[in-house]
Amino acid sequence: MICKVTRAEIFQYLDGELSRGERAQVEAHLRSCPDCSRLVTTERAFRATYLDRLRPDPVPENVRERVIRLLDALPSRQSSPSRPGRLGRLGVMAAMVALVILGGILGLSVRDVWKGPNASVIQLADASVDQHQKLARGLLPFDIAMASPRQAEEWFRSKVDFKVSIPDLRSEHLAFLGGRISHLTGVDVVALGYRVNDKNVSLFVIPEEQYRRLGLSETPKFKVVNRRGYEVVVWRSHGTGYALVSEIGGQPCLVCHSPEEKLELTPAPAAHRS
Amino acid sequence: MDLRAEFQAVVMANLDSLFGYARVLTRRTSDAEDLLQDVLLRAYRAFGSFDRKLSVKAWLFKIMKNAYIDRERRRRARPVEGEWENGDERATDEERGARTLPGEMYLYVPLSPEDILLRHLTIEGVREGIRRLPAVWRQVVELREIEGLSYQEIAEVIGKPIGTVMSRLSRGRDLLRASLQDLLSEREKTGAHDL
Ligand SMILES: [Zn+2]
Repeated sequence: MICKVTRAEIFQYLDGELSRGERAQVEAHLRSCPDCSRLVTTERAFRATYLDRLRPDPVPENVRERVIRLLDALPSRQSSPSRPGRLGRLGVMAAMVALVILGGILGLSVRDVWKGPNASVIQLADASVDQHQKLARGLLPFDIAMASPRQAEEWFRSKVDFKVSIPDLRSEHLAFLGGRISHLTGVDVVALGYRVNDKNVSLFVIPEEQYRRLGLSETPKFKVVNRRGYEVVVWRSHGTGYALVSEIGGQPCLVCHSPEEKLELTPAPAAHRS
Repeated sequence: MDLRAEFQAVVMANLDSLFGYARVLTRRTSDAEDLLQDVLLRAYRAFGSFDRKLSVKAWLFKIMKNAYIDRERRRRARPVEGEWENGDERATDEERGARTLPGEMYLYVPLSPEDILLRHLTIEGVREGIRRLPAVWRQVVELREIEGLSYQEIAEVIGKPIGTVMSRLSRGRDLLRASLQDLLSEREKTGAHDL
């Protein structure tokens, strides 16, 4: 028999995608058409037996664990849409540092390709790596340790004449160790030590004026430089400059290069990753 | 409620689905994980302004689809739209070479549901049939049959009009039934009973 409804409409009907009027039309047709009625019955049985019982494949356990870690390390935020001034800035800052740090842990790409070698950035990166190694080995003691990020901020406020925002990332995988006033390429900076998954990470807070002297473009936001087995990420937020130093996972670079050897500037660590 | 706690709850509740969709898009577990992490960070940044009346799963899928397109564009330095966006024909050609699909898959040979029911195909057999679908159709079939998204939600996720969703879904379902037919004949030939 010639049907007034199409097969496509039957499926839309079964999918619950028809309007009330359309649904009534299809149902009226089903009462008078054994063929379509049979199609609906078997299709329903097929769905009940198979499709309705399909579930997405379970995520592999190791992926689940890494996701839980990532979620734990997200900066805490309240759902109120706007927070004034300092708190808001800290939130942004914390989110960004979390992004960069997590990027390191998780092998995630927060980086865009950075074009153009820039001597001053390489200098900054080298100096940051030096300082980072000294901090990690305890050769440069912290001025303030065993303190909360808030207490440390308070302490720096009276010591330096630029604003220091210390990300307060609460996670069992990330601990704030302390901070000190340090010198990077002849400039006073604040050096902050973190422990991330049993590895040391240093964050250098650079005054706006000095950061501007690096002559970096605004985009891409994060400049990534690999030096001597470390990854240095340089960026700016609300005027303040930052350089973050962390180990490249497993130090693959040191397998083929000595620690003293100056590595070529790589636009992105992809060459060392994949 | 604390935004992070809410976000964590949402992600954990949908984690299998999210990773499943990442796998459909990337087809490789390592790429899928990378994509998933990227999506979680993106989604958290936007979560505060997410309209709580909408389906959060569809919202996350949409972010994932966009993130995937961004990544592919960056990686290949050429548009990837062809494969996903521009019509099924191109994808058919690409998939035909890459996959072990018999030519008959592309013919209109839907297996009747009765037949499938009568021959006791297992749920895992049906799941395998969906996995074997070419990506363009597998995507909409999974979003509909496994994830239960509406046509409108699927349209938003894949960035296509509803008409395209309906035609892909219809074709995908036919292909699935043909693929199940295929699995059944394989089973009958080898005498295996695990499908
Ligand atoms: Zn009829």
